[in-house]
Amino acid sequence: MNAIMPPLVIDVRVREEGSRGFRIWFPFVILWPLLLIIVGFAFVVALLVDLALLLADSRYHHYTLLLFHSLQLLAAIRGTHAHIDSETALVDVNVY
Amino acid sequence: MSEDRKRILGMLAEGKITADEADLLLDSLGSTAEETTPTTPAPSSNNWPTGPAEAGSKPKFMYVKVFGGKDTVDVKVPLGLLRAGLKLTSLIPAQAMEQINESMSAQGMSFDMNNLKPEDIEALIENLGEMEVNIASGDGDHVRVFCA
Repeated sequence: MNAIMPPLVIDVRVREEGSRGFRIWFPFVILWPLLLIIVGFAFVVALLVDLALLLADSRYHHYTLLLFHSLQLLAAIRGTHAHIDSETALVDVNVY
Repeated sequence: MSEDRKRILGMLAEGKITADEADLLLDSLGSTAEETTPTTPAPSSNNWPTGPAEAGSKPKFMYVKVFGGKDTVDVKVPLGLLRAGLKLTSLIPAQAMEQINESMSAQGMSFDMNNLKPEDIEALIENLGEMEVNIASGDGDHVRVFCA
């Protein structure tokens, strides 16, 4: 389950010399219910398509797996941290 | 004992190289290690590790650190992202993959993504733990890339 759990929070902070900069603290978790509906629907469609392709003897029938691995890719972003501190700018990106 | 050192001694034992050649190779191995190891250790921020994972342990993150100069860069990327990306790549339909391979080939990267197998992906990630890149530039910047 943990392998397909999307990020909880995305935190981006940018500060440039001579400006106030900005910070985006986005609780991605609020999008989870919407994502669940979209992904649930997409899974059903992908399963039906794969089944039809399998019955039609098509070599490629992996749309459900493709969708599953796309979710895994989204989940794998969790734990990414980037901190760049130069003379003129400071950038912080954290995905929890 | 490092893998390279073992390999050289193995070649000597098998009679593939002479003792003089082994000595030369071992000397060059030692000087390479001295040249590539930065004199300044990578500073640890946020309790991040300062070096590669110990032998046998599975790396979880790739770290990129730039320090010692005017700029400081600390990047931590989960290796799960690489694993998920490669698995996703192996599922791309053949027609789309052909186009990707053609584009990559045009850019000078002749690498067939169709050859990537799940077991290769795991082996690749496991062996990344042994990878370490150390660059010390003339202006004082140190770049360190490792997995832990």
